[in-house]
Parts: sequence; structure tokens; C-alpha cells
Amino acid sequence: MSRPSIFRTVAWLWFLASIAVLIVGFREAIFLVPTDAAQGDTGRIFYYHVPSAMLSLIFPYINFLASLAYLYWRRRDPLKALTSDALALTAAEVTVVYATICLVTGSIWGRATWGIWWTWDPRLTSMLLLWLLYVSYLMLRRFSSSGQSQTLAAVLSVFAAVDVPIVYMSIRWWRTQHPAPVFGGGPDSGLDPSMMPAFVWNIIGWAMWGIFILCFRFALERRRQLAEQEAALSAIEDSLETAQ
Amino acid sequence: MTWHTFFNLSTLEHRHLLAAYATVFIVQGSYVLWILRGWLRSKGPRE
Repeated sequence: MSRPSIFRTVAWLWFLASIAVLIVGFREAIFLVPTDAAQGDTGRIFYYHVPSAMLSLIFPYINFLASLAYLYWRRRDPLKALTSDALALTAAEVTVVYATICLVTGSIWGRATWGIWWTWDPRLTSMLLLWLLYVSYLMLRRFSSSGQSQTLAAVLSVFAAVDVPIVYMSIRWWRTQHPAPVFGGGPDSGLDPSMMPAFVWNIIGWAMWGIFILCFRFALERRRQLAEQEAALSAIEDSLETAQ
Repeated sequence: MTWHTFFNLSTLEHRHLLAAYATVFIVQGSYVLWILRGWLRSKGPRE
């Protein structure tokens, strides 16, 4: 079996496994978990909002590490730098996807429970800032014509990563509108055991899905990079032939 | 909760729940379809 076909088989199996886990997670969250006494069925938004929020704080670190690798390799080994750059771009896009879901589902949940779509609470504001930073990263890459856009984006990504611990700590440092942390927030934090299966299935499912889209997008970006390299090489060959 | 109550749009509570879940599927689905479109339009290294 050739290497590309092994990758393809693993990708299909991973995709199917993540869909299966997400179906189980959906069933747990919607049909099996008891209705929340205080919030009613609106409380079920928790099982999609919290996994997306948690994952939107993990993917930025892949972008951060890949950007550092790009900055390290860009003069030493351009081929490794290109691979790192593809991974950084991919992780930034996946971060934006998960952060968008976190912000929108949080806003809908906030409207249902607090009666407002938005408030300038430290957690919400720092999360919005995170989203804006990674959208800026993608816009910089898309529209910069300086020829140094990959380097500029890598530097921006280093600064953007600083916001991640601020988002994480915001509900510990400043207690305002957003609820206290569910995990690691002290003796009163934690989930009711009846909520745990739905949460675990969904966090695993969305993490598996995130890894799948990350790998798929990375493969696409590498394919584009290789096509650009081949086009550049054939252009050089053509120009040499014309000169002769 | 049942499928019927999940799609019950007569209460604000269920409208919010459905909107939140639909947002997740729409955003994730759109992104993966966009990648798939790019994949189908791009050529492999030796194609």
C-alpha cells in the first residue's frame, strides 16, 4: 500500500470515527442529559459552547509553535519553513472557526439566560479580541503585498498567543457577568456527574473533528505550495529554453 | 427531550437552543465544504 493511500484511509477512518462520536455526543446532550433545573433546555447549549471555547484556546498554540518554527527555519531551511507556515495558517483558520462558534453560541445563550446578546465582560471582550487577532492574521496573509507577509504574520501570531492565557484567566481574575470556571475554578467548581457523559463525548468529538479539519486543510495548503513550486520551476525552465 | 421538542419553535427557549446547535453545524459544515471545494479544484503534485 502506497503512502498517499495509507494517509487517505486513515483520514477516512478518522473522519468516520469523529462523526460517530459527534452523533453519540449529540444524542447524549439533547436526549439523555436531564433538563437543567434553572435554565431548562437552553442549558443544553453548554455541551456545544464549552467544547468549542476550550478548543479555541488550544489551536492558537499550534499556530504559535508553527510560527516560531517558521521564524527559525525561514533562513536555515526554506522547505521546512514552508511546511511550518502551512501549519500556522491552518491552525489560525481552525481557531477562527472554533472562536466564531464560541462567540455566537455564547451570545445566543446569553440572550436566553441573561436577557442580553452581549456585554463588555472581561471574558467576552478578551475572547472577541482573540477572534479579531486571528482574523487580522488571516487578512494580513491574504491582502499584504509586501512579500514579507508570512514573516509579518508569524510575528503577529506570537503577539496573538499572549491573549490566550488572558482569555483563560479572565474569569479567575475578574468576576463579572460570565459564570465562574467549570473546571479548575476551586472547590465549588466541577460538573454534576449526570452531565459528564454528554460533555466528555462532545469534547472528544469536537477535538477529533478539529484535528480532522486541521489535517485536511493542511494537506490542501501543502498541495497548493507544491503546485506553486512546480509552476515556478517550469517557468524557470521555459525561460532558460527561450534564452538558448 | 425529544426530536419534536428540539424542533419546537413555539418557545423562545427552544428557538435559542436550535439556533445555537444550527450555528455550530453551519459554521463547521461551511468550513469543511470550503476546504473540500479547494481540494477538488487543486491538482495533486503529479496530476
